[in-house]
Amino acid sequence: MGKQLVVGIGDMKLGRQEGTIITYALGSCIGIALYDPMIKLGALVHIMLPEKGNIADSNIFKYADTGLRETFRKLYAYGADKRRLTAKIAGGAKMFDMKGGSSLGNIGDRNAQSVKRVLAQEGIRVLKEDTGANYARTMSIDLQTGMVLIKTFGRPELRL
Amino acid sequence: MKSYEDMNAMELDVFREIGSIGIGNAATALSQVLGVQVSMKLPRVSLAGYNEAIASIGDPEEIIAAVLVEMSGDINGIMLYMLKLDFINAILARLVGKYIEDFSQIDELSASALEETGNIIISSYINAITKLANIEVGLSVPSVAVNMLGGILSVPIAMFGYSTDKLLMIQGEFLIGDTQLKGELMLLPDVESLNFLMKKLGVADI
Repeated sequence: MGKQLVVGIGDMKLGRQEGTIITYALGSCIGIALYDPMIKLGALVHIMLPEKGNIADSNIFKYADTGLRETFRKLYAYGADKRRLTAKIAGGAKMFDMKGGSSLGNIGDRNAQSVKRVLAQEGIRVLKEDTGANYARTMSIDLQTGMVLIKTFGRPELRL
Repeated sequence: MKSYEDMNAMELDVFREIGSIGIGNAATALSQVLGVQVSMKLPRVSLAGYNEAIASIGDPEEIIAAVLVEMSGDINGIMLYMLKLDFINAILARLVGKYIEDFSQIDELSASALEETGNIIISSYINAITKLANIEVGLSVPSVAVNMLGGILSVPIAMFGYSTDKLLMIQGEFLIGDTQLKGELMLLPDVESLNFLMKKLGVADI
């Protein structure tokens, strides 16, 4: 086990060759693990909202659109090739089942759609996905292999 | 309009006072339901970034039970009632005569007992505030989740995410009987409601 980088909410970390990057308890948020197997370069982004609405907001990793675009830019700068990059995504749960009309809506679902749209626009393939349902997920990526591990409460570990 | 970040010490004090009145009323209601002495601690008002807010309550992966109610009307936002295992057992023992060893043993009956107490506590909390400020607040049907703390808090975080990077938490704690069993009740108003509330209570300086 090498070093482990921790990604907070609305944050992104990248690393190369060894170690893991982890983000804890994704609820309606989505974790996107991007990986270039040739140079063993990976990134993990933790977004919480589908689109950047407020131009003045400087926290770009909060949003699927601006967060992913900035991550692509960084990965390319570190030598990643768009044609080799693949994505694995997890999260987007609906933690509370609200009866009747709720202004909360299904933010997790909207997050997942936005993430997939931005990835498709960039031409990056979604290799594996574990989204939706009603429980939180802890997600980590192994930079040596690109393997993604999903931990949840009361369910077996999942390898993506 | 003031954002969360611009609030001064006096305004934070007002929210501590509001929380204190709300939680006092809620403790009385809980005490009646359980037939046991329930006391409260002086509420904390805190303003923190997402990650700090979660860390101030516990580990993001820690499992908790939570009852969520949405507020609408003069105050929009969320009330969140979060229970750890010992507190859950104190409630279940008195209401349904059950004891659980871990969260996986919460069945439908236990969940509805928790939902019902959550409903009573939250309604009495909000009733106290609406009377005080002479406002009207509608409450949604409560919803229960048993899951990771971080995932549960992602709900208010995402709800307010477009307007702020911080959470304003008015946190109250109950103590059941002589034992220190902690249950947390959090009032999470959105920014507009906060300003409206300050104006109603005569503390807005604009």
